[in-house]
Amino acid sequence: MNLQKTTEKTGSVMVVGAGVAGIQASLDMANAGYFVHLVDNSTSVGGLMAQLDKTFPTNDCAMCVISPFLVEVGRHLNINIISNSEVESLEGQAGAFHATVRNDPRYIDIEKCTACGQCRQICPVTAINEFDCGLDLRKAIYIKYPQAVPLAYAIDRSACIGCGLCEKACLAEAISYADTPRRTVLNVGAVILSMGSSVYDPSGLDTLAYGRHPNIVTSLEFERILSASGPYKGHLMRPYDREIPEKIAWLQCVGSRDINRAGHGYCSSVCCMYAIKQTMIAKEHVSTPLDAAVFYMDMRTYGKDFDKYYTRAKDEKHVRFIRSRIHTIEPLKNGDLNIRYVLESGDVQEETFNMVVLSAGLSPPPSAIALAGRLGIDLNAYHYAQTADIRPVNTSREGIYVCGAFQGPKDIPQSVMEASAAAASATETLADVRWTQTKVRELPAEVDFSGQKPRIGVFVCNCGINIGGVADVPAIREYARSLPHVIHVEDNLFTCSQDTQEKIKQVLVEKGINRVVVASCSPRTHEPLFQETLREAGLNKYLFEMANIRDQNTWVHMASPAKATAKAKDLVRMAVAKAAYIEPLPQVMLDVTNSVLVVGGGVAGMEAALGVARQGYQAWLVERGHQLGGMARQLRSTWQGEPVAPYLSDLIDAVHRHEHIQIFMETQVVHVTGTIGNFTTTLVTQDDEGKEKSTVIPHGAAILATGGHEYAPTEYQYGAHPSVMTHLEFDVAATKQDNRLLSAKLAVFIQCVGSRSAERPYCSRVCCTHSLKSALWLKTINPDVQIFILYRDIRAYGFRESLYQKAREAGVQFIRFESENPPVVSLTPGDPSEPNSSRLSLTVTDHILQRPIILNPDLVVLASAILPNENKKLFEAFKVPANADGFLVEAHAKLRPVDFASEGLFLAGLAHYPKTIDESIAQAKAAVSRTMNIVSKTAIMVGSVIAVVNPERCAVCLTCVRTCPYGIPRIDPEKGHAVIAAVECHGCGVCASECPGKAIALKHFTDEQINAKTDALFQAA
Amino acid sequence: MIVADRKSLSEIQDMVRDCRKILLVGCKGCVTVCNVGGLKEVQVLAATLRIAAKIEGRPLIVEETVLERQCDPEYVEMLKPVVDNFDAVVSMACGVGPQFLSEAYPQQRFFPAVNTTFFGGAVAHGIWEERCAGCGTCIIHYFDGMCPVARCSKSLMNGPCGGSDHGKCEISRNINCIWDMIVRKKTEQGRLNDLLDIVPAKNWQTARDGGPRQSRREELIQNG
Amino acid sequence: MSDAFEPTIIAFCCKYCAYAAADLAGSMRLSYPANIKISQVPCTGRVDIVHLLKAIEDGADGVYVAGCMEGDCHFVSGNLKALKRVTCVKKTLAELGMEPERVEMFNLSSAMGPRFAEIAIEMTDRIRKLGPSPVRRQPQPEAAAE
Repeated sequence: MNLQKTTEKTGSVMVVGAGVAGIQASLDMANAGYFVHLVDNSTSVGGLMAQLDKTFPTNDCAMCVISPFLVEVGRHLNINIISNSEVESLEGQAGAFHATVRNDPRYIDIEKCTACGQCRQICPVTAINEFDCGLDLRKAIYIKYPQAVPLAYAIDRSACIGCGLCEKACLAEAISYADTPRRTVLNVGAVILSMGSSVYDPSGLDTLAYGRHPNIVTSLEFERILSASGPYKGHLMRPYDREIPEKIAWLQCVGSRDINRAGHGYCSSVCCMYAIKQTMIAKEHVSTPLDAAVFYMDMRTYGKDFDKYYTRAKDEKHVRFIRSRIHTIEPLKNGDLNIRYVLESGDVQEETFNMVVLSAGLSPPPSAIALAGRLGIDLNAYHYAQTADIRPVNTSREGIYVCGAFQGPKDIPQSVMEASAAAASATETLADVRWTQTKVRELPAEVDFSGQKPRIGVFVCNCGINIGGVADVPAIREYARSLPHVIHVEDNLFTCSQDTQEKIKQVLVEKGINRVVVASCSPRTHEPLFQETLREAGLNKYLFEMANIRDQNTWVHMASPAKATAKAKDLVRMAVAKAAYIEPLPQVMLDVTNSVLVVGGGVAGMEAALGVARQGYQAWLVERGHQLGGMARQLRSTWQGEPVAPYLSDLIDAVHRHEHIQIFMETQVVHVTGTIGNFTTTLVTQDDEGKEKSTVIPHGAAILATGGHEYAPTEYQYGAHPSVMTHLEFDVAATKQDNRLLSAKLAVFIQCVGSRSAERPYCSRVCCTHSLKSALWLKTINPDVQIFILYRDIRAYGFRESLYQKAREAGVQFIRFESENPPVVSLTPGDPSEPNSSRLSLTVTDHILQRPIILNPDLVVLASAILPNENKKLFEAFKVPANADGFLVEAHAKLRPVDFASEGLFLAGLAHYPKTIDESIAQAKAAVSRTMNIVSKTAIMVGSVIAVVNPERCAVCLTCVRTCPYGIPRIDPEKGHAVIAAVECHGCGVCASECPGKAIALKHFTDEQINAKTDALFQAA
Repeated sequence: MIVADRKSLSEIQDMVRDCRKILLVGCKGCVTVCNVGGLKEVQVLAATLRIAAKIEGRPLIVEETVLERQCDPEYVEMLKPVVDNFDAVVSMACGVGPQFLSEAYPQQRFFPAVNTTFFGGAVAHGIWEERCAGCGTCIIHYFDGMCPVARCSKSLMNGPCGGSDHGKCEISRNINCIWDMIVRKKTEQGRLNDLLDIVPAKNWQTARDGGPRQSRREELIQNG
Repeated sequence: MSDAFEPTIIAFCCKYCAYAAADLAGSMRLSYPANIKISQVPCTGRVDIVHLLKAIEDGADGVYVAGCMEGDCHFVSGNLKALKRVTCVKKTLAELGMEPERVEMFNLSSAMGPRFAEIAIEMTDRIRKLGPSPVRRQPQPEAAAE
């Protein structure tokens, strides 16, 4: 597809790197009016996440979570996946780039390949399977993994002997040995780099013996070992002798926090959590008790719900956590491994394990570093894209943005969040060419099946071995054949894979199937995908029912295959019974209000409002206080040292000046109605005389950025002595060049004040970094000061580790304490006639000396926790949930980090979880991107599962009017019966259950349908 | 509307103990509105009776239907095709229903599944209160819209008895003394003097005391 | 005979919490008895007395409704309404001479996979102790032929 080069601004964009971040950025932009070229140098999309077994902290199956995204990106009309390709050069400027892309040969025509697998059957050459990290083999002709998108084979020419057998076997004539590299020029308005990460290769660390013994594996290799689709089919075995290990050791910081040997001075941010995850999953994999030990320096569980996860591993799963440094690993003859390690006390210990997992760090892929060079963007000392904290997704070249692990080592939700942020930033300047390059899908008209008897097709999924490895899938399939109205049955290895979807579409049309039952995983994750397939085959998407025979069956009854098979039959029978009664439900086209309400006038809220406005839409910014800026007003600098005050005043100024932003100060949200695309919110503003004025705002989406605040400590003599101050007070004092700081001789920073406690069992994330930064600043301004940092774990994640390193170099002393034995600060009375003359005294037990140390500090800085702002009424008005700690709960911890479960509502900033200013900015921009998926459209389709009144049965008794939690039903005096507005109905079905005349039906969950399932369950099989 | 309460299960069971096949008939009028005899309650009672029969190991078929109203012969007429297929018919309408049904189908047995209690209304969803006694001579305008006939335990018409205590009736602490309310409202409105007029003895002939009543509207009655 | 009794229990689970918790129990590979079969509803507020009685009538040994935590219903208060209906059905069962404990209401969040498994185990144990539903205990005669 060679395109004419143009100098005009274009509505197409390019995303380089199709891991989870690239996929998210592509989907966001494609759904907001841009045509996306998604380039990846691999044969398929999915990146590193596709290789993972499970994800923390929910232990969701990585493939299950990502596969709907893979399929969506694969089938998206406005995303052009360019696999097996490298960007060679980028000419032009922001708005009108010309990218030259080299398409490397795959030797197989994607369009022709049906992925039937015949070629693989006869290919005589075996090669190393890189997807399984070399733990098993594949053929020279291969598909990376079963759910791969695009689903087409490729030939590994480094292994291929050119025998020609596959060419003869391929009935589709898809094989082309003569394939040569081609070049394509793409006109794009912006570029997003999301090339992700590679995993550190520990071969160079000879003391760890990696590569010298097969039972020493990297964490990624261990992911594949755990994976049900991995080399050992999910059976936990050690590579050397395929024995089930009874003792496994995890060694942290391999290739991270290691300047001497690995050249990586940064923390990889994710290893502590994935190691904990692996310990827990490994324990679940074996029936015998597994002894899991994690050797670590600091446990960096700094994210949302991470500390609880850590505690669970420690206290409930009895994982051993050993704070130590590793000396050597010595392989023993029987395949076991002897680990010599040094405890904090200096004691050298030895212990033997059956297997060792090296928690290998992240580093940018060499290809990414090379590309960055070709594009001319700045990299940091560790070859990651250099960004500023106040512009976290902008590279040094205008029009090129970065997200995910190429910006810095990070976990999946942070990558996804940045991906959305990059999408918002990249499209900001392309707002005027939105919808100019996009295509529109022509869907077949929905077939009218009215009057037809149900003709049900049942598709049973093996889900690799997830279902088929436990339950007897052929038996379930044949059982389905015997059920009423069933005219077609089949089973598939992966019902969700793109080829199966295509096959299903054909079968639906060929056999005139008018109701579809899929027996597979959960409708929660896969229903939309299958519904789309139905729609493409001309069926209304509600002619669909799922039987959850994996998550709620084979995964929980693994030990009883016979019971799992019997239960699967029950569930299929129930689904088929309901399917016989389901009917097509038309969707209602709903106009969209093209504006966004932003609640909260801190950095996140202002960035969100400004982002929306710059996309060309109206933003309403509501702040309950009398000034904008939130917590950032007290912050001195970002962790990289960028001053906050000028940034903040520019931001406030920009928000005030933008024509698309209206600000409501001293205003509260009192009432919210409506749904995605059309909310109506009532604001009440307090004027100077205390009078209240209310304003009604229509908006299509809302972003809650209600912020947080610092915990007011009750410990460590806070409030009793002027030299005991919190973080934020320190920043304010620093700005004022306060003498308490300048004249301090001995300063002590105490970490985890109010965090990681029984009352607040979470890490406040920012405090370690802030203390390190503050200590370094104090050293600069007051070189003679002696500084101690008292900590539990230093959580300087990512490049923030460099601050830790610098602080140690600058002579800051670190003393670790245990939570049960915290430091004690006391006051020694001074001269009674003089105020504030009392002296501070501090006692802490040193972890190395194992004895108390007494200090007499003249400055104590408390790293006090971050608490979410109290907003109970506001959250109730929006009906959004908060967790036990008061932080807002996102729709999905991994892949929907800025969405609420309720559509059209999004979150950003400290209200979600403590975070640094760069992270808040990224999240705010991400929320903007998510709202663009709604407000950039003129109409959206809604409805379907809604309550409908049968006028003939309605006794106008008012029961529905009185019991609807949203006050939607009303009695229409002219019609003489109750009416329920389709677009307003939330679809809970309360009215249908309360109606004494049975005049209300909740579509898709009618009495008939619910009872049909119940009847089917109890009817003798 | 007419307000009713469901009879206890055992009472209904006793009525139909010897039946193998019964029909439950709901009514879309008042009893649907007061959530006691509409289609939903018919389904609930039917399911309950079937469960009971299954527990006892006794054969029982229960069918369910609802009439627009059981107090009009034309609607009652609609049962004609099926009414004789059952050993008995249980009406979930007010007391009028089983009687209209009995009159229409003298050969069949009809049982009431509800106790008809009063004329009243819903003061909140799920709470109904009596407001009218159907005395045949309305006098509520003397009492600012409050009827002492229906709402005074003793139907006193010239002020409260001696048992009114802090606004509550001596019969039950749960009953408001209507006379207390009347006096309060009259006082608020500055018309307490109204109560100095003696309300003469009420003519109870128009109430039930005059025997069963009939209401005739000559202009509506169809001749021929 | 009673040793071999395997109850059949239907669980009406709301899409947002209990059903998601059941999925989570799966993701966590927790084990619970296969006696539990889930019928998904958008909200426990959709679960009608009629649906619960229908299950009992059909021969369910146990029935439970599982919704969000109180105060956390995705639809504001559907779970509170469901509780009232469950309570009402318990009363009816008592009138019928059946053990009211065969019907129960539970509340859990979508993050409570282990709790879901616990509830499934608890309910199965409870019903195993109670034995088969009296509806199934009696040999069922053919209903009157007509």
